[in-house]
Amino acid sequence: MLLEIKDIHVHYGKIAAIKGISLQVEDGEIVSLIGANGAGKTTTLKTISGLRPLTSGQVLFNGADISKMPGHKRVIAGIGQSPEGRGVFPGMTVQENLLMGAYTRKDALDADLAEVYELFPRLAERKNQFGGTMSGGEQQMIAIGRALMTKPKVLLLDEPSMGLAPMLIAQIFEIIKEINKRGTTVLLVEQNAQQALKLSHRAYVLETGRVVKSAPGPELLDDPQVRAAYLGGH
Amino acid sequence: MKGNGVTGNANPLRRVGALFDGARDWWEHAKVWQRYLVYLGAIVFALILPAPVIGEFMSPGSDWTTVLIYPIGTYILLAIGLNVVVGQAGLLDLGFVAFFAIGGYSVAYFGTQYGWNYWATVVFGILLAAVSGVILGAPTLRLRGDYLAIVTLGFGEIVRITANNTDEIGGARGITNVPHPTDMPSIGVEFGVLPAPYYYLMLIAIVLVIIFSVRLQKSRVGRAWAAIREDEDAAELMGVPTFKFKLLAFAIGAMIGGLAGGIYAGKAVFIEPNTFPFILSATILAAVVLGGSGNLPGVMLGAFVIAWLPERFREVDWLKDALGKDPAEYRILLFGGVLVLMMALRPEGLLPSRRRKAELHEGTGGMGTMGAEVAGPDTDVSTTEAAK
Repeated sequence: MLLEIKDIHVHYGKIAAIKGISLQVEDGEIVSLIGANGAGKTTTLKTISGLRPLTSGQVLFNGADISKMPGHKRVIAGIGQSPEGRGVFPGMTVQENLLMGAYTRKDALDADLAEVYELFPRLAERKNQFGGTMSGGEQQMIAIGRALMTKPKVLLLDEPSMGLAPMLIAQIFEIIKEINKRGTTVLLVEQNAQQALKLSHRAYVLETGRVVKSAPGPELLDDPQVRAAYLGGH
Repeated sequence: MKGNGVTGNANPLRRVGALFDGARDWWEHAKVWQRYLVYLGAIVFALILPAPVIGEFMSPGSDWTTVLIYPIGTYILLAIGLNVVVGQAGLLDLGFVAFFAIGGYSVAYFGTQYGWNYWATVVFGILLAAVSGVILGAPTLRLRGDYLAIVTLGFGEIVRITANNTDEIGGARGITNVPHPTDMPSIGVEFGVLPAPYYYLMLIAIVLVIIFSVRLQKSRVGRAWAAIREDEDAAELMGVPTFKFKLLAFAIGAMIGGLAGGIYAGKAVFIEPNTFPFILSATILAAVVLGGSGNLPGVMLGAFVIAWLPERFREVDWLKDALGKDPAEYRILLFGGVLVLMMALRPEGLLPSRRRKAELHEGTGGMGTMGAEVAGPDTDVSTTEAAK
């Protein structure tokens, strides 16, 4: 088991955003969390990456309890995240953004940088452009590329399709598949349930801070309840 | 035709703005020897700056060298310090004057009560300021934006009021007979009544602090600060220990503030709590923002303008005629008007860095223009989820 969270509770002030979620991610999988606004998907990711403290429960990574580990150390441990809203550094160029991903690394970066540029040729064309002046899709590429530069064992992606044109969404999902194929485990949060489920080995359905269903991705695609609630009921 | 009048006025200022931008672009592509030539020119310029010929225009009414030390030099030093906190790490600090006060009081108190050597008191003041920066930062740097600003504002006032009510450090009467810097007969420098030696002392301090600040900005620390300023969560996700680096920014900013306080006290002979009012924090912040937060030459230019303009307004003859009174009574109003005008015409500051411009134009916290257009109600999960 690469990543496991056990019965976590997270509060914003007094309001419970997560009321006891448990999930597992095996090495090499693509796992997705789907659900409506406010279901707790983003909060779950932030709790795993250490941006949100948890009230109770446990986050285990490679078998070790990392619940109390600060976020910046979890990066070194092997958890990379492309945050909600992309979080591109607007005043840094594309290349500087990618190099920020390697902030904690002391080994050679050339090969990894070349790999990111190979995955996203668009970024290679615009190395020296400011992150803030890139389009939404390009910023998403920066955010994913930057997370890859941390050399993660598990890559957390928060709504990579948000705000993108359908063509670009398809492209981004292709790339996620490719990243996984090259050996990185992926935990994906998506509102675009159709696309996410097609891609995922397994998926969890979240509703108001709880897991209401979990099954292999293709199975959920055929689930009548899930179809009605998240896939437009066809 | 009010609108036309406004654009008419704007044109010359726009042209000045374009000149600034052109200078910055040239600088970015300048060769190393060209840069060193500019550094050399700047130092020579600073050395001859107190010359009476320049002073005649810059400060006809009061002694130019004295004006150069306070307010101009002091403001520049303070602005470079505050720029580390505000411009580099992106933390809004409204109580910066507290560190200036701590530096000043260290020199005054340990010099008069314990007879310490002046330089020792300055170094001790810098350390004390750094420690208080950490003490202020440790519990408060978990706050963000406006909340942090309010806490720092409170800290500035706490320091001033504490000084006001502590008899050991003179209470409201302050401390008199603050010792001057130790004379250095070996190189023929004597710190007495003449302002020139203090000016050169201030100049050395400013040059050292600039070198220190530029080195920091180009280091790993500077990159971490830039990341924190642009998106704190993303910085943490890149493995930047954000809390530690914010604390470091506070400590380093505080040290520079403490240094400024030490030099100021060495010249001033007398300090009291009211030497360190809140308005001074606000003024220094105005200097940083006006000049171009994050860009060192801009920040220094801003500090110079903010320090010099009100002094200069006192001496403008046609203003005297127009107002029928001493313009000194109106100078703060005029100064405010100039600030409003400048921020309306150049909101990024007089001399912003290109990068800072990109950050400000982005203005959506990491969301590109396209992302911002289509972002749904889910954009801020913390509020939507809190609303549930």
